[in-house]
Order: sequence, then C-alpha cells, then structure tokens
Amino acid sequence: MNWVYSGKCWKFGDNIAVDGDLMKLEFALTRETRPEVLRRHVMGGVDPSFAGQVLPGDVLVAGKRFAQGNPHIQGLIGITGLGMGLVVESIPRGSFRNAINAGLPLLPHCPDVTVLCETGDRIEVDFRIGSFRNATRGELHSFEPLDSSLLRIIEIGGWRANVTSRLASLVPQELTISSKNSTV
Amino acid sequence: MGQTIAEKILSRVVGRRVKVGEIIFPAPDLVTVHDWYIRECARALADFGVEKIRDPQKLLVCTDHEPVATSERASERQKTVRDIVGQFGIKLFFDVGRGGHGHMFPMEMGIVRPGMFVLGYDTHVTNYGAVGCLGIALVTEITEVLACGSAWIRVPPTVRVNVSGRLKRGVSMRDVAQRMISDISPEVADYAVLEFGGEGSSGLSFGERVTLCNTPVEIGAKSAVVECDVKDLAAMGLPSRTDDVDMKGDGDGEYSKILGIDLGSHEPQVAVPPRPDLVVNVSEVAGTRIDHAFVGSCANCSIDDLRAAASILRGRRLHSRVRMFVTPGTQKIAAQAATEGLIATFVEAGAILTAPGCGPCAAGYVGNLGPGETSINTGTRNDPGRLGARNASIYLASPLTVAASAVKGAITDAREFLSQDLEP
Repeated sequence: MNWVYSGKCWKFGDNIAVDGDLMKLEFALTRETRPEVLRRHVMGGVDPSFAGQVLPGDVLVAGKRFAQGNPHIQGLIGITGLGMGLVVESIPRGSFRNAINAGLPLLPHCPDVTVLCETGDRIEVDFRIGSFRNATRGELHSFEPLDSSLLRIIEIGGWRANVTSRLASLVPQELTISSKNSTV
Repeated sequence: MGQTIAEKILSRVVGRRVKVGEIIFPAPDLVTVHDWYIRECARALADFGVEKIRDPQKLLVCTDHEPVATSERASERQKTVRDIVGQFGIKLFFDVGRGGHGHMFPMEMGIVRPGMFVLGYDTHVTNYGAVGCLGIALVTEITEVLACGSAWIRVPPTVRVNVSGRLKRGVSMRDVAQRMISDISPEVADYAVLEFGGEGSSGLSFGERVTLCNTPVEIGAKSAVVECDVKDLAAMGLPSRTDDVDMKGDGDGEYSKILGIDLGSHEPQVAVPPRPDLVVNVSEVAGTRIDHAFVGSCANCSIDDLRAAASILRGRRLHSRVRMFVTPGTQKIAAQAATEGLIATFVEAGAILTAPGCGPCAAGYVGNLGPGETSINTGTRNDPGRLGARNASIYLASPLTVAASAVKGAITDAREFLSQDLEP
C-alpha cells in the first residue's frame, strides 16, 4: 500500500458533524455502505461541490472534534471512496474507530494543523510515519502516526476485510490463550 | 510507578504491563449484548460464515430494552433471540422476567465482579464500574469479539476524581453527576476512564456508584470506575467471593488529570433539552409545566432511587395532568420495592409500574411522549425523539426532583416537600 498521499489540501474548521455536514443522515438510516455511492456526497452539508472537485491523493484537513455526533460510518467510507487521506486536530472515539473500520488513512491527533495549511496548498502526507509536508509553504511537520496494528487494518481494507483475515488465521493455540485470562 | 485501575485490569488481561495509548487486543472476561442487537450480531456472524461463537460461556444475553412485547414485530424478535441463544449454546441468557436491566443484575448476581474486563454492545456498560469492573462499549466490533475472541482497543488515559464530603438533604448523586459532566471539558473526558476514589467514595451506595459511572459516557468518556473492595461489596449488599480482588488506583499512578468533587457543595440540577450536559440549577427552570414523569433507566433504577421517589410520593397524589412511570432496574429491585411498600406508594399516588429493564428510556416503546409534551425523568439522554415525539421536550433530573415535579405538575425543587415533611 502507498502510504504517501500527495495532492491538494482541503481545509475545514472545528466540530464538523458526522450527520448533516459530512454525510446526509439518510444514508446512515438506510445503512448504505457502498463507497461508490457515498463518495459523491462527502461534505455535502458544508460544500455541495466538494466531492466533484477532489482527486485521489488529496488530503482533507480539519480542526477539533471532526465527525462529532452519533458515530455513523457512512461519511468516513465516503472519504475512503474518494481516495483521500484525513488529517485532524482531534476526532471523537466513535468516529476514530469508524475511520479505521472504513480503511481510511488518518492522522488523528495533529494539534494546530489547521494553521499550517490553507485550502489549495500542495500537501504531502506520509501516514505511516506521520510526516506532513506543505510544499506551497516549504514547511515540514511531524505528528504521531497510527499504531502499526491499526495501519495493518487500514492496509487490508478496513473492518470487514480484517475480520475475514483474522478468522482465516485463527489457530487452535489462540483458543487456549483467549480462555486462559478468564476469571468467569 | 503505580497504575490506575484501568491499567491494572488491562495489564492482567493481556499478561503484561500496558501503557496509555498503545493498541491491544484484550480478550474480555465477559461480553454483553441485549435484545435489540443480538439478532444483528447473528446475521453478521452468518455473513462471515461463522457458525460457532468463540467463547459462548463468556457471552451474556438479556432482554431489557423491550421486555414486554406489545407488537407482533416485538414478539418475533424475542422468539429470534431465544432461537439464537439455543443455536449458539449461550448459558448466560436472561429472558423476560428473569434478570431485568443488563447493566444492573449481573452485579447483583455476582456475575460481574471487581477487576473484571467486560465488553458490551451498549454505551452504558460502564455501569459495571460501580463494583470496580472495567466495562467498555463497542458497536460493530462486538461481532468481531464473538467471532475472534477480541477486538482492538486503545489503552485509555485515566482522569482521577477524588470524592469528599456528604450529600446535603434533598440532593442526590444524579445532581452531582450532571453538574460534573457539564463542568468537565469533553476534551478531557474523551477516550478517558474516570476513576472515582477518595474518602467520600467508600461510603457510596450501589445506586450512587451506578449513577456516577453511567453519566460520564454522555460527554465521550470511554468508561468510569469507582474504587471497590470486599467491604464495599458487603456494604452494598452485593455477593462477594473469597478470590475477589480489591480494586484501587495507586496514588502515584499516571493520571491525565486529577479532579475533586465535594458532595456537600452541590444543589439540585436539571439537564435541559436537547443535551444531557446542558445543566442548570433547578431554580432556573422551576415552574416549567410538565405532562410526563419517569423514574428508572440504567442511570437511576436502584432501590435507593425508588426509595427517594417514594419518600416524596408517600401520602401524596400526582398532579391531575401528569402521568408517571416507575421502572425498577431488576427483578430483585422490584421484589425489594414490594417488600418495603414502595410499590404501594407509587400506585396509590397514581403512578404506573413497568417491567424491570430500560423502561421508557429505550426509545419510548412504553410510556412515550406525544407531540409538544414535556417530560422530566431520570433517563440517560434527552435528545429530540428519545421518548417518542421529536418535538417533545425532555428534562433530566434526580428521582427526588422528578417525583416532586410530578406532584406539582411543574418542575419543582424537592426540598420544598422535605421541609414540609419536617413540620409537625
């Protein structure tokens, strides 16, 4: 997998809501999970023209509590579907899990990253090591990357693919390990 | 360097010392799933081609969200739940009328004990912190736990909350808990475990501990836990075993923040629509007309909560406009309430008793709200539509405040009644 995303920066502020801003609620209610459908509606509540303009390799940058609200996965699947990466100042727990489950490369904790770039800047992010290069400004910054076990889930394609892979690799010894710690 | 309770529990489970922020795949001691999700779990397992749950003896299934089926759809679901329980050989199954609220009875029965690690499909699995157990909620990944034995979690930071003092008359732990989630920044609580300890925590009742562990999830806390030892279990009237461990945080543990709560400094609080952390002093909303009242939900369904509501309702009747529902948390609490005469008090006041479980708080399938109506209740949340009509208004408060408001027909400071009761 190519962990280096090189493209245009699309910047948003704090408190982007998962329902309404990032994705229409109706897709959560109908349990739509097809990336090819959801990608066309990403950030539709903030900028309806957004999804039509971005290219694979572009990076969505946002402030604090990105994708806050009831943790629906549809918006995060949509970002993955666009081929974008995600860089945020903070993201609530439920949406963080959903981003991993959607197979979306992200840097979840990048303090003040929204002052380091503007929409339209040329950005290069290496999600494996946490580097954030703003080529327009000629600046390089570094943030904490995801743990390698989470990178592996993203690499394999998200939650569903990861569970399938875990089931295939379960060996009898693991049964012993999982019941050894029991106090029930 | 010492450890927090959450670190001690997770370290035991993975067999080595964990550090905050690392990703681990801990195998839980118990998994809990309720009647509104086990069917979805079974479908997801079928999609993966999984025919056997990895550890069926570690899965607890209970019917608490909709114990009394009032539609064909609900009866069908209950039947499906029973079929799934049989199919997977689940022994810890608590059907209608057998346990009650899944966030309560496992502690009463000694299934959930100090030091355990539980994963549950439902945000308020954190209630188990009342007995020093770490309960963490998962959503989709519960299916992964059933299929593979674990799912990833990030070792959470811990916020220490030192409890001191005693509650004043007319003030309850719900008031303290609501004030707390209003005051703590979501940036501090998000991902964190709140660990309650200190001299004021050891004397807390079972119900008070449950309320403290239930409320913080509304601002994004991962879990909450109260220090607990065998003496505390005995004081709460809960079963204990000789191998039960004392769960205390180490004083020199690495806490992300240390806060203090003086119980004696609190006043009655009310959460106003539409969020549980929009909390004001009762005086700011006193006089707001209400149509509906409810005491129950996993936040406030203990015998203490029923006693508090009954202390106001005894010898009084509900306001003519108000309907009131009371939901004991468990079968055991309902029986205890009957023994103590609390149920007679509720019924004589004009209130309606519902089956043990979630009561109206589970999306208003029983005792719901009509368009434009106003409720005051002890439920967990007050989002629009939580109890039925989307344009209904929901205020959240302590059992004392709810009962006093139900008598007056408007939001009321219960201390008005308490002072009357003291007069000869």
